[in-house]
Amino acid sequence: MLGMLGGTAGFGSLLQPAIAEKVAKKNKQVCLIWLDGGMSQYESWHPLPESQFAGPFRSIKTSIPGVHFSELMPHSAKIAHKISVIRSMSTKDPNHSTGVPRMQRGDPVNRGVDYPYLGSAVAKLLGPADPELPPYIWIKPGNGGFIHREAGFLGAQYGALALGDGQAPIHIHRPDTISAHHDEARHALRKSANERFKAYRGAAEIDAYETSYEMAQQLMARKDIFDDEKLNPRDRERYGTHPLGRHILRARGLLEAGVRFVKVNSYHWDTHGDNFNMSQRLVPQIDQPFAALINDLDESGMLENVLVIVMSEFGRTPVINSRLGRDHWPDCWSLALAGCGIKRGAIVGETSKDGAWVEGTGYDVGDLFHTIFTVLGIHPRRTKYRHQGQKLAIAHDECRPIEEVML
Amino acid sequence: MSKPALDIKAAWMSRELKHDRQLYRAQFSPDGRLVAAAGQDRLVHLWDLASEEPAPNSFDAHRTWISSLVFHPTEKLLFTADYHGIIYCWDYGAELPGPPRWSIPEADRNNVRALLITNDGQHLVSAGDDAIVKVWSTADGRPVTQLKGHKDCVFSLAVSPDGNHLVSGDLLGSIRQWNIADSWKPAREFDARLLHTRGDDFLADVGGVRSLAFRADGQVLAAGGMKEAKSNAFCPGKPTVLVFDWATGVVKNELRIMGKSDGPFNALRFLEDGTVVGHTEILHSNSELTFWQIDQVDPLHSLVSPPAYDLSLHPDGRQLLAACYISGGGTGNGAQKRFEDNYVPNKSALRIFSLYAKPITEEKKTG
Repeated sequence: MLGMLGGTAGFGSLLQPAIAEKVAKKNKQVCLIWLDGGMSQYESWHPLPESQFAGPFRSIKTSIPGVHFSELMPHSAKIAHKISVIRSMSTKDPNHSTGVPRMQRGDPVNRGVDYPYLGSAVAKLLGPADPELPPYIWIKPGNGGFIHREAGFLGAQYGALALGDGQAPIHIHRPDTISAHHDEARHALRKSANERFKAYRGAAEIDAYETSYEMAQQLMARKDIFDDEKLNPRDRERYGTHPLGRHILRARGLLEAGVRFVKVNSYHWDTHGDNFNMSQRLVPQIDQPFAALINDLDESGMLENVLVIVMSEFGRTPVINSRLGRDHWPDCWSLALAGCGIKRGAIVGETSKDGAWVEGTGYDVGDLFHTIFTVLGIHPRRTKYRHQGQKLAIAHDECRPIEEVML
Repeated sequence: MSKPALDIKAAWMSRELKHDRQLYRAQFSPDGRLVAAAGQDRLVHLWDLASEEPAPNSFDAHRTWISSLVFHPTEKLLFTADYHGIIYCWDYGAELPGPPRWSIPEADRNNVRALLITNDGQHLVSAGDDAIVKVWSTADGRPVTQLKGHKDCVFSLAVSPDGNHLVSGDLLGSIRQWNIADSWKPAREFDARLLHTRGDDFLADVGGVRSLAFRADGQVLAAGGMKEAKSNAFCPGKPTVLVFDWATGVVKNELRIMGKSDGPFNALRFLEDGTVVGHTEILHSNSELTFWQIDQVDPLHSLVSPPAYDLSLHPDGRQLLAACYISGGGTGNGAQKRFEDNYVPNKSALRIFSLYAKPITEEKKTG
């Protein structure tokens, strides 16, 4: 590993010892960047400027000869050789309300259970990468809290600790007026009350509260993770000062600290209206921090073990509507993957000339989950959940890993 | 033959020119004989209104969507601009233009969102993404001056009837006045921030001053757009026209629509009686062509019409041209190859509305 680090653009010597230690452990980690509502593939990964459905933007050369991205992604174009892009996602659900859970649960065959979202699944299947940190942290706009519903049947302890606006949970700092000794006593009293309560009632919500307290305690011990004073101002500039830039930079910090799975959400990508003016302003907000993250993880050696995914619940229609928007299009769209067993520079998927339809093999979310689990070292067929005595598949039985993007 | 009397409440659609791609700009020529239109398909289309032939003469013009076009008021010149920042000047007197008379390859960093010719025909004014209003010679495209002050992209331009003042409106709701007669110096700023929205959770600014128009006496300036946008995704807002008193720069009135449209006014025109007219957008439904007397908040009259992106007033003052959206049949959310065998782009209809009572013979013809 150290030899590999020495070969990554000469940054090995700059590696912080703590990160070097994490790299050496080869813990698999995940950063899922979720662009809620659906980013337009034409205005990002698959511009097709000569298509009848093209938008008005230029396509630009990438670091891979012959491959072009939209001009709205100049930073990603420079790191195309470090990532894979699948341009032939063909999923089944054109609705947000059902498409989001389907895409984040991976759509295993319905066995009448509430399947976990990807972050909870990885938290269960791999456990914490660092036992002193929550395995699943979700950075999102708005409020934070402990979101146990993402865990589905796995149980509340596999839920997501959500950081509203990427900030530390409130009350993470123990007031000076409370000593460590008194704090421990308070927690013991709370636990005792919870045990008594659980003896007579359902345990799920108590488990959720208990887990959230434990996570808060863990983070109190590691509050340095949230010390923004330690951030390099240059990093803030490289990632962008907009929410998505700040949140992806926070995700980098959490990954470096050893969090197993970090999800970053950005909302309002559902550009039914004014798609081109909005894409002109939105797409750069993912382009810049995504490229910065990939470069940083690559230079530190972490990209070897950190899987980065940029996706939505679907893409956007080829046809342009009456409000100069694009509607929902699950039939043929694009996403990006990088790191952790993903090929560098693989641009996968054939489409019709106008980009409307997949030609050849289209990939559904089940294929994506097989791929994700495989590169994380989790066998997608042999590994099963156990729930109330029954074995449950972790990914769709009839799908398979997408070999074209895997090393 | 004398012109029919202007009668807005009797306005009717007198002609429709259909096209198989979406057109975002459409203008009558100064002599009223031609319609020029352009949009997604990169071509410039010229319809001869004297001809019964429905097909336009079209010529290959740009490498991307055409964002603006304007006729020279006296010479047979047509200026077009695109999303890549290029402006072309075309001689359209012949059957079809040959190569452009001249071009400006980098008129803007990206999208040239508005073009205007000054009243004396000497200058072409462009504005767009780089927030700089630029003045060029119409004779050869040479740069004349640059007008700086806007802080974000400029959507709209208008020149006062006396030709002395230029106004430019931007995304953030700033309208700036430039004194043409005084070396284009900046004069003042009008506050149209109502037409801009940036909610706490928005990822981008929404709205802007999408259109500007002067009343013929120069005493009133109208600014079109939408207010109170609810998100940066669907970008739905309340279509709004702000009526400014030119002398004081104060908003005299705020005009609204009675229908359900939720997009901005991309074009406004004043009629000779002082009525202002605008057309707005909506998703997957009909919109309306709306007329106001500027001292009334509610419309004087409106006509149901598909969403539209541009309006042009015929030199006779009795016809309005609207670049309207027409569904190609495949619009809406995707659904597993429902349309695979016939999935085509949406279309356009250039609708000409006559602003007078339909003659009896026409009534018989059209039923």
